[in-house]
Amino acid sequence: MPVVPALTSSDPTTLDDRLNVQVSTRGRRRILGLLGLLVLTVIGALLSLALGARDIAPGIVVESLFGLRPSDDYETLVVVTERMPRALLALLVGASLGCSGVIMQALTRNPLADPGVLGIELGAAFAVLIGILLFGVRGASSYFWWALAGSAVTACIVLAISRLARLAASATISLVIAGAALSAILGSLITLLIVRDTAVYAHYNYWSVGQLNGRAGVIDEIWPFALAGLLLAVPLGRPLNALALGEEVAEGLGLAVARWQLSGAAVAVVLCAAATAAVGPVAFVGLLGAHTARLLVGGDHRWLLPYGALCGAVLLLLADVACRLLPGNGELQVAIATAVIGAPVFVALARGRRVVPA
Amino acid sequence: MTDALLPLLALGRRRERIRSIVVCVALGAAILLLTAAEILIAGSADIALDEMIPAAFGLGDGLAAYVVFETRVPRALVALLAGALFGLAGHLYQRLVGNVLATPDILGISAGASAAATAVLTLGVAGIGVQVSAVLGALGVAALVFLLSWHRGVSPYRLVLVGIGIGACASAITTYLVTRADEMSVERALRWMIGSLGGADWNGVRVLLITLVFGSVLLLIGSRGLRTFALGDDLAAALGTRVSRLRFGALLLGAGLAAVATSITGPIGFVALVSGPLAARLVRRTDAAVAATLVGAVIVVAADLLAQTAPFISPVPTGSITAVIGAPALIYLLVRGRRRS
Repeated sequence: MPVVPALTSSDPTTLDDRLNVQVSTRGRRRILGLLGLLVLTVIGALLSLALGARDIAPGIVVESLFGLRPSDDYETLVVVTERMPRALLALLVGASLGCSGVIMQALTRNPLADPGVLGIELGAAFAVLIGILLFGVRGASSYFWWALAGSAVTACIVLAISRLARLAASATISLVIAGAALSAILGSLITLLIVRDTAVYAHYNYWSVGQLNGRAGVIDEIWPFALAGLLLAVPLGRPLNALALGEEVAEGLGLAVARWQLSGAAVAVVLCAAATAAVGPVAFVGLLGAHTARLLVGGDHRWLLPYGALCGAVLLLLADVACRLLPGNGELQVAIATAVIGAPVFVALARGRRVVPA
Repeated sequence: MTDALLPLLALGRRRERIRSIVVCVALGAAILLLTAAEILIAGSADIALDEMIPAAFGLGDGLAAYVVFETRVPRALVALLAGALFGLAGHLYQRLVGNVLATPDILGISAGASAAATAVLTLGVAGIGVQVSAVLGALGVAALVFLLSWHRGVSPYRLVLVGIGIGACASAITTYLVTRADEMSVERALRWMIGSLGGADWNGVRVLLITLVFGSVLLLIGSRGLRTFALGDDLAAALGTRVSRLRFGALLLGAGLAAVATSITGPIGFVALVSGPLAARLVRRTDAAVAATLVGAVIVVAADLLAQTAPFISPVPTGSITAVIGAPALIYLLVRGRRRS
């Protein structure tokens, strides 16, 4: 009596059926997980609308969202004109960074890759600042093009350095150290540009420490870019799955490796540029989003991309709410909160044997 | 055979020693020149030369003498001494870990010292308490970094990665504390985030000088044991060195030296990283503690001179100048490591 009857050659259909059942339950679970994340995002957004310097009851929040309250009501005004754009901005920026993190980790095959850790966000911020101070650029939609140029150039430099240094340390380590060195240079250059004048410093400080505070108006100008980046990421799932196995294997599977690597990098850079142009550099969101997504759905990039985007969005929303609620005068910049949460995760990942073989 | 080689070896030794002495004297002269230049030309007040020279030694009276003796002279001396401490600490770490990238600034130890110093400053502590707290913070971060990267011995690269992460966390905490403290001016805030010499005074000079003397004496005592480290742990132990105790003590000492310097100037980055390799190249040997110390001093005094007088950009925090110059050196060292291995 065979232990696994389905494997006998006399009954070929049963194996297929079983596999199908397995695949469909897994697929269903993944869809349910995605819905759960969506619900979590909505809850995060509602929290973001309700909590702050002045707490507003959830009933009033919902009523003002549906236009059931008089439009000159103070609390309605706060919800609709201030907190709503801010929550949407956090959502969009978080999703862009999470998605960008997933793509960068797949392309570099590096679990520590993140648009902030690799210095690409600071490159974008530096370029925007150059645009503002030297060329008089105004408005977030023009910032985006400068951010795009800056992040593309920085990404190329980081990759080139890590290629050059690849044999000394492992590729993973060289990439991160190159990113840290570039971040130090760019961060100092930003300081050099804005420090001369206290007024300039106060005005442009969000290009050195990313924050959602007072950036709500940006959403109107930046959403097309972020949305375009997110949509462009949709067809990347399958090629990223192949690329994650290594260039040789991907080529063996019939993938146009160079073309997909280039388009993947382009999408990651566009997403990073949109996020940075909107709120300034916010590190570790991509790293955290990508790894939370990986914990939830495993290594399939068709699922990792939406999961990563949603995890990033939830993370940034909650971090922003936490920054508002911390005691003390004024609000905390959200980039500080993400660094305090993200750096320990980075350290935990860096300790793993996957990164530095013992 | 050996008899024939010995004189050659002795000759090589002597040449090496002469070269070291020449380099150190040249570095000393450079320090003197730069310090004098900083006292003479840095700063906004125009003071005549005949008034300047007595004022620099604390003679003379009036506003000019006050400005020179109470701000410019201590600032130049703090730059010199802090640079020397950073150079010495970096050299110590590079030798002990056996990797050029493992210095207190790259491993996040300076950032930890800065976070701890800022924390007590916001609580209203002043004076020696700031230094004590900075040293404790640095030792805590150093212990954390080494513990977290321990996995059957310490791999230098894991050390660097963990250090970068811990350093990012510590800098975020510093930024948090600085933005929370409402009375902190932009300049003071930036000092704790990237390092600036704006608030230097004679008290700082005193603390740094005592630390430098103390550290040099301890290093002199341990220098024989440290030299045996280059032969590898086993051989060093066979030669009578208590390897793990000495290494532990020296790592603590390095963290402490960097922490005291950081508690006065803020985390001036990349000086500790650059000094050692630069000194080793100048004197053509790797155990050049004195040369590394002098190179560190030259770098910080020069960077501070640049930060105060460079056209278009000055005045800026000194730490941003050292980062713009030093971070490319990190990339260079990373890329060059490839050819070594």
